[in-house]
Amino acid sequence: MVEIRGVSKSFQKTVKDNTTEVKALTDVNLSVRANEFVSIIGPSGCGKTTLLKIIDGLIPCDSGQISINGKQVTTPGPDRAVVFQTFALLPWRTVLANVEFSLELRQLPKEERARTARDYLKRVGLTDFENHYPHELSGGMQQRAGLARALAVNPMILLMDEPFGAVDAQTRQLLQEELLELWQRERKTVIFITHSMDEAVYLSDRVVVMTPRPGQVAEVLDVPLARPRIADEVRRDPKFVELTNYIWGSLKKAMENHH
Amino acid sequence: MNSRFGTNVISILSLAVLWEVTGRIMDSTLIPPLSRIGAAWWKLLASGKLAANLTLSLTTLAAGFFLAVAIGIIIGLLMGRFRAVEHFLDLYVNVLMSAPTTAFVPVLIMWFGLGVESRIAVVFLFAVFVIIINTMTGVKQVDSVLVEMARSFGAKEKEIFFKIILPAAMPAIMAGVRLGMGRAVKGMVTAEMLLTLTGIGAMIMQYGSSFATDSLFAVILTILIIAMITMQAVQWLDRRLTGWKAEIAIE
Repeated sequence: MVEIRGVSKSFQKTVKDNTTEVKALTDVNLSVRANEFVSIIGPSGCGKTTLLKIIDGLIPCDSGQISINGKQVTTPGPDRAVVFQTFALLPWRTVLANVEFSLELRQLPKEERARTARDYLKRVGLTDFENHYPHELSGGMQQRAGLARALAVNPMILLMDEPFGAVDAQTRQLLQEELLELWQRERKTVIFITHSMDEAVYLSDRVVVMTPRPGQVAEVLDVPLARPRIADEVRRDPKFVELTNYIWGSLKKAMENHH
Repeated sequence: MNSRFGTNVISILSLAVLWEVTGRIMDSTLIPPLSRIGAAWWKLLASGKLAANLTLSLTTLAAGFFLAVAIGIIIGLLMGRFRAVEHFLDLYVNVLMSAPTTAFVPVLIMWFGLGVESRIAVVFLFAVFVIIINTMTGVKQVDSVLVEMARSFGAKEKEIFFKIILPAAMPAIMAGVRLGMGRAVKGMVTAEMLLTLTGIGAMIMQYGSSFATDSLFAVILTILIIAMITMQAVQWLDRRLTGWKAEIAIE
């Protein structure tokens, strides 16, 4: 479904008249199946977010290509929607108007926009807060609005860029459970960037471990845990513990090889 | 808000009492007691002279200020959005922003003559640069994540501008408009005193040079009241347009 073939990307970095080229990604290959939940994990600066932006079509890659169902990606498209780490809600709009934003851009008629937005606010449990402004909500609630905005356009693929990185630990677990529940119902393909091994294993069908910069796929691991996953039970499952340990080892190895 | 309003009233009342008492004790034309100023003000009002001059002045103010707002916001938006425009203009804008605008008055007389056009030009020049700079800064400070978000959901350049850049920059633009309003009032009085003796600027010069201090203070107080009213009007507009920002600031 999503084919990532030989993707490389460099940036020009200028520090005081001194321009150097920084290689962010080199020869990244990955296939993601329809309805699959794939997490990408790697050390800071390994180009995870860059890869996500390339998949979304926000920035071009230098070489290689991304295709979705055989069609090459060059620009953002209606088949994809992003959930941002910093929520990226518009502070001058209410929660409802924020969710409607993505629908406005798709030229939906007004009543339909409101109806659809309310429907998705209900699914993320924000019905009572539709008239609140983002700054009146907690981080977790803001990200629920961000998720509703992305789901409202009914994308095939949900691209999530460390979406729970900016909320506290308890909220994070809650959001993870809610996301799994939603995913089980909506059946989207999810590409999920994270720092957290625990989060990656708990959520995903497969976990992609990346090397430090320039980022490359070090290893792709299947998660052998049955679904639906009950958070507390899964985390005590020996297979869960084993896999998290294994990923930690893989990350460590990737980082050591690099030095 | 209410307690603040109360304190304002008390402050004004005590100043008025102090003034009245000082004026009566000093018994000098230099500080006429407030009651005499009030009487002079009433006389000016009744004769229609104040209203006539005020209309003249405020028309100039409105024309110059609205030109400054329209042109200032457009130039500021272009400078903030396009690097080339910014680099082309920022030198002049920055110089003119801090230059004493009064120095340009003789040039304006040569260009526009002694009529109302020159006065409008002075008001415009006083107000426009602070509006340009604030607008430009506002546009440049828009969170790039919001632009990226809009682009990711398929926004075109026009939609990014009207749905993201403009509302996000609105608080800074309104700050520029507020500062521009204050400068526009200064420009109006300056123009009327330096250029052609008209409007309330002329009244100031006339009463000042003939030591008619009670009338002079009456006119000055009128200017202060105008400045206050126009500021309130701009603030009201600001709250309507950027209420979301004010709420964030309070928290």
